[in-house]
Amino acid sequence: MKRVFISCDMASVALGADAVARAFVGAGCEVVRTGSRGLFSIEPLVEIETEAGRIGYGPVAPCEVEAVLDGTHRNYIGAVDEHRFFAAQKRFTFARCGIVDPLSLADYAAHRGWIGLDTARAAEPQAVVDAIRASGLRGRGGAGFPTGIKWQTVLDAPCRTKYIVCNADEGDSGTFADRMLMEGDPFCLIEGMAIAAHAVGASRGFIYIRSEYPFGIDAMRAAIELSADRVAPFELEVRVGAGAYVCGEETALLDSIEGRRGQVRAKPPLPALAGLFGKPTVINNVLSLAAVPFILSEGAQAYADVGFGRSRGTMPVQLAGNVKHGGLFEVGFGITLGELVNDIGGGTASGRPVRAVQVGGPLGAYFPPSMFDLPFDYEAFTAAGGLIGHAGITIFDDSVDMAQMARFAMEFCAAESCGKCTPCRIGSTRGVEIVDRIIAARESEPARPTANNGVLGKALYSRAPDRIDVSPSAQTTLLRDLCDTMKYGSLCALGGFTPYPVLSALDHFPEDFGAPAPALEAAE
Amino acid sequence: MAMEDEEGVMSTGERLIYMANQIARNLASEGGERSAEMVADHIRSFWDPSMRQRIVALAADRPNALSPIAAAAVRRIAAA
Amino acid sequence: MGFTRETDHGTLPALATGANVTLTIDGEHVTLPEGTSIMRAASLTGTAIPKLCASDNLESFGSCRLCLVEVEGRNGYPASCTTPIAEGMVVRTQTERLKELRRGVMELYISDHPLDCLTCAANGDCELQNQAGAVGLRDVRYGYDGATNMGQPKDQSNPYFDFDPSKCIVCSRCVRACDEVQGTFALTIEGLGFGSKVAASQDDAFLASECVSCGACVQACPTASLIEKKVVETGTPDRSVITTCAYCGVGCTFRAEMRGEELVRMVPWKDGKANHGHSCVKGRFAWGYAQHKERILHPMIRTSITEPWREVSWDEAIVHTASEFRRIQEKYGRLAVGGITSSRCTNEETFLVQKLVRQGFGNNNVDTCARVCHSPTGYGLKTTFGTSAGTQDFDSVMQSDVILVIGANPTDAHPVFGSRMKQRLRQGAKLIVIDPRRTDLVRSPHVEAEHHLPLRPGTNVAMLTAMAHVIVTEELYDEAFIRERCDWDEFQDWADFVSEAARSPEAIEPLTGVRAEDVRGAARLYATGGNGAIYYGLGVTEHSQGSSTVMAIANLAMATGNIGREGVGVNPLRGQNNVQGACDMGSFPHEFSGYRHVSDDATRAMFEAAWGVKLDHEPGLRIPNMLDAATDGTFKALFIQGEDILQSDPNTHHVAAGLAAMECVVVQDLFLNETANYAHVFLPGSTFLEKDGTFTNAERRIQRVRKVMAPLNGQADWEIVQLVANAMGLGWSYSHPSEIMDEIAALTPTFAGVHYDRLDAEGSLQWPANDAAPGGTPTMHIDGFARGKGKFIVTDYIPTDEKTGPRFPLLLTTGRILSHYNVGAQTRRTANTAWHPEDRLEIHPADAENRGIKDGDWVGLKSRAGETTLRAQITERVAPGVVYTTFHHPDTQANVITTDYSDWATNCPEYKVTAVQVGLSNGPSDWQEDYADHARQSRRIAPLEAAE
Repeated sequence: MKRVFISCDMASVALGADAVARAFVGAGCEVVRTGSRGLFSIEPLVEIETEAGRIGYGPVAPCEVEAVLDGTHRNYIGAVDEHRFFAAQKRFTFARCGIVDPLSLADYAAHRGWIGLDTARAAEPQAVVDAIRASGLRGRGGAGFPTGIKWQTVLDAPCRTKYIVCNADEGDSGTFADRMLMEGDPFCLIEGMAIAAHAVGASRGFIYIRSEYPFGIDAMRAAIELSADRVAPFELEVRVGAGAYVCGEETALLDSIEGRRGQVRAKPPLPALAGLFGKPTVINNVLSLAAVPFILSEGAQAYADVGFGRSRGTMPVQLAGNVKHGGLFEVGFGITLGELVNDIGGGTASGRPVRAVQVGGPLGAYFPPSMFDLPFDYEAFTAAGGLIGHAGITIFDDSVDMAQMARFAMEFCAAESCGKCTPCRIGSTRGVEIVDRIIAARESEPARPTANNGVLGKALYSRAPDRIDVSPSAQTTLLRDLCDTMKYGSLCALGGFTPYPVLSALDHFPEDFGAPAPALEAAE
Repeated sequence: MAMEDEEGVMSTGERLIYMANQIARNLASEGGERSAEMVADHIRSFWDPSMRQRIVALAADRPNALSPIAAAAVRRIAAA
Repeated sequence: MGFTRETDHGTLPALATGANVTLTIDGEHVTLPEGTSIMRAASLTGTAIPKLCASDNLESFGSCRLCLVEVEGRNGYPASCTTPIAEGMVVRTQTERLKELRRGVMELYISDHPLDCLTCAANGDCELQNQAGAVGLRDVRYGYDGATNMGQPKDQSNPYFDFDPSKCIVCSRCVRACDEVQGTFALTIEGLGFGSKVAASQDDAFLASECVSCGACVQACPTASLIEKKVVETGTPDRSVITTCAYCGVGCTFRAEMRGEELVRMVPWKDGKANHGHSCVKGRFAWGYAQHKERILHPMIRTSITEPWREVSWDEAIVHTASEFRRIQEKYGRLAVGGITSSRCTNEETFLVQKLVRQGFGNNNVDTCARVCHSPTGYGLKTTFGTSAGTQDFDSVMQSDVILVIGANPTDAHPVFGSRMKQRLRQGAKLIVIDPRRTDLVRSPHVEAEHHLPLRPGTNVAMLTAMAHVIVTEELYDEAFIRERCDWDEFQDWADFVSEAARSPEAIEPLTGVRAEDVRGAARLYATGGNGAIYYGLGVTEHSQGSSTVMAIANLAMATGNIGREGVGVNPLRGQNNVQGACDMGSFPHEFSGYRHVSDDATRAMFEAAWGVKLDHEPGLRIPNMLDAATDGTFKALFIQGEDILQSDPNTHHVAAGLAAMECVVVQDLFLNETANYAHVFLPGSTFLEKDGTFTNAERRIQRVRKVMAPLNGQADWEIVQLVANAMGLGWSYSHPSEIMDEIAALTPTFAGVHYDRLDAEGSLQWPANDAAPGGTPTMHIDGFARGKGKFIVTDYIPTDEKTGPRFPLLLTTGRILSHYNVGAQTRRTANTAWHPEDRLEIHPADAENRGIKDGDWVGLKSRAGETTLRAQITERVAPGVVYTTFHHPDTQANVITTDYSDWATNCPEYKVTAVQVGLSNGPSDWQEDYADHARQSRRIAPLEAAE
């Protein structure tokens, strides 16, 4: 009987993987459901176990079972590991994803699972924290704060009750790495959290997952139950978010777990000292915690050997939008933006030229192709007026209207604002209005109402809205001032980062805002 | 002793007897002489002279109306 | 005193750790306690950082983003309210960059705010306006055509304040004040982002919501979004006077904010030691009675209570009063007259009334309304500890670990202290409630009692003795404390007594109806849970065993060592504003001021020397004795200041009969109260807003009452008493109440250090304040009990004679409600009636079902003493077999029902236990109809004829 591997990842299922799996069962195959390998242009991917390793076909339709089994299917890929998209990766965190049965403890153990936890538990907590520091791991949720320093703070906090909280409220559009990991290798996250618990002296953990991830929620709950004995006395629980983007902000997330309205808390106190229920709390992103087992099992040095500058290790990059080969690509820091977009992603799906890419989710900056030599690195992106964030890259072709994209950023902030701080609460709505004025003005420079001429004209309607200067240049100045207020005045990253897409659109694509296009790069 | 009057109002005499007995009941746990002395002290401290004269007279008129401790206390007051 | 805003330092003071840090703010070196925010540090050193969401009575929040500062070595612009100071920190609060950011934020605020400052009620008293000025906002470039939150309907449902969402800046100060200060959690922010808005409960109107109208939100609001109706109507104040509230025994300090001679609003004062800037619906809003049209402003006399009143001149009224008292004394003897002082009047006025009786009438027939509320406290605590007063200040509760509340409902009756207690409970202190009713404290947002012991009314002593049984038999007592501070032999006698099996929780379970295991749990918690503090109210004192219960409480505190330091103690929650003071001032018939018996020769000699007369060495009559003597024909005249004994005292029939039997009843009051229906002379009184004096609150804190406006009746109460005294030839010559206090201080050792100049300088003093305690005494019995050794008293449980039976199967207990005060004379004449327009009878669903009673039905309530009718309210707040009502409304006359059983030691009436029957009724009882008729007749007034 043939062993066949088919993904049960939400994206694969959306592409028809369940029906394909049923067809293979019907054909008498033993079907193993795995996570996704992460290249969606070949999903549903069917892998056949052979002497020479797993041979892949994809995409496959349910009616094509015979062709796969007899080796004649047109979408023959060959040895999956050798596929260019996978072979080019450095899979530290996603090493098992797409390969193992997510809920098989035996599979997990057979693929170097639990070695990290056993190593950690054999060591003093301080030694574990030291290993994390030595690895150079930085928070993968976006802020890039050194994970080891955060853990050290919690370890040093004098309190008997401490918590580990995993932020799995992956709300950025175009990002899906957290989901893929939870669906494809949930024990990896559990192991990472158990190691964190040992490192800081916590006995309970919470995984806060957005409600839009039902598969991830089910997988995590099942995996928690299956591994309860393995990680005991550490206890884990899944909490499901109610859909507010801001609950991805760590302090709002804590409020939400505590059963309150998710609102951003002012810091200090740091959650590391007074977090969940007022107790010292490690709060890390899924990808940060999932990187931990590798660091413990393979050594901090093995992790730190990869990377660029102060950005060490690997980053699971997510390619989305108008891109030929969308998917998850885990790679060491330092690869350039252009390599990711053009070499790995293969350019746009539409075949038109790339005009802009947004890095770091809806609050990340837009970059034009002229900046494609930018290396993937926290510091380099900051210097370029952007951010890596959760490493989602969304690609747009030349039909994109960057003023509309700026508007979208403001609109997104307005929709997701918790309403606590003023720059975000009012500023985002004003931002939408300003961009609307710019869009209106750039299309037809409005004639000033005739009533404004003459003394009476100046008096009449003097309190009317049109007394403000609605010219694109005045509105652009106002938009920049608003971005300044939001960036430096907001309480949390939602309002604070919304200016990134707006300002980068203004800087790199001024022609879309009714201003002259920038002079072409001198070099060209 | 409960209220006897249909209107729910004790006459002044009844009320004084009731009060003396109530004080005696509450100070009874000390026992005997000591209780009688405490009741007498209490009445001397808090009752005006006309009330004290009245209870002495009532005790004489209605020998069975007062409890033993209250009666002993009133005797002390009368003697003073 | 001009009108200035109180400084708001923006954030709470740091928790004391003892450590200081030094930093630089705008070039100045500053050393302050660790944990202080940058905002507070700057404010304390004279630099106001712009702010809107911060207030120094709330946890810092960090939402307005106006208070951003620069800190050397840190990225960005941290909010100064949420950033604590650190050693060596270099802060800049005023830079061009900060101005730019603050203007940017303010420009956003104003882009969503109506520009109607000139017509806004808060114009000139608006933080948003001030801060817009402070940051130099000159233009709003966003225009006004965008989205706004303006134009939403106002919520004007609350009788005292309006909510205008259009003016709201969503700073959450109101929500946080409701949560953190008041503890009601009635407000919330609804919606998200730009649509965020303040909502009451489930988006109800304020009046219909859980809001208790304490005013904290209105006070917190930096704009006119929440604003007093009176400010809208009158305009902003232009001067203010600090004074003390005349409602309950908490003694809140207020700023009476005036516009000319018109009172605009009462705002709780942050420096008030009792309230720390908080208030309740009564003190904050219910002061309109002072100008109510029913106030009597002219003296009146009549020869018989069936005649109409005749307005007369002050001279005529005073001469008439004096001559009547002299005539009656000549005819019936020196002892045939007396007086009643008021717990609502000032210390000085009270002192003068008892002086009038002792010096002028020549007897000790003076009593006070404390007779009917806290006289057992005086007796019980004097006997056990040596001082007739509570042992702590209110702030002490913040150090308590276990709080035992018995027979008190602080969230209704002492709301400002109730809020403070709830703050402590939210911090983690444990709560035990002993009460027949499930009061709000038992379970309310973020507060839940560890133990609620819903005992059968009248079984307090059995309950407390059972707790003592557990503490003694399980050896949970504090032997070291007892050996050092009490008489060990007396303790052992008491311990033997409470240890008897008959006093175990199991043995008394059938009596109290409370499960023994709960009693044991509560006793263990109180004895072992850390600092244990007991708070009690009239549910303790107003029983046949009131004094015994107070002593049983004192026993528990002594046995567990819970006395003599912060966080512990025995704390009577006094009902009226000046109950403590009235007792202190010598209002009782057996003692002079400072609780010294009239038979004490030395004390008497002191007073005789000062007053130049011989004083009676025999105790006088208590109120019920006076009424008895009146019905017997030996007591003929009574001077009553500021009391309404007909409505407030038990067994109304008996009170009415006593009053009707007198030849001259003088009532000095604001209104023609119920007692005045039996009076011959009416002397119009003045309100607390119209006079100077002092009140003493439940924590022995003496505080100034200051004249805010001229008395409408022309005379302050102390002046009226002086006129009467002088008409009787006493030759008094006080020109100001401070002179009366000087006399009190000279004659009362515990008040020796109390003078107006000190009160003005220090705000308040807690007695004893004298050479031994120059700064006053926040906590009593620290090094030893006032009486020397603490005295354990054996408190045998003597059940009341008031028994249920076939005719009267239910137990009635009475109490008060948040919105009303005592007999309601004041609060019924305010918009507080919106919350409680009538007294209702709370009855358990099972008892109602048995009687065919539905919610809102008219029911007859009948006891041995009398009968009345009122409407039923079906609720599980009362246990089966127990019914409850308030006594705020004279139409109901709940005291027609109560009997004249009383505390064995003090005659404090047994209001809390009356056997009753309840049944459906068609309408008012005969008594109610007759009384209403009499009241109507009695209140007729023939106006003063114009001078010929």
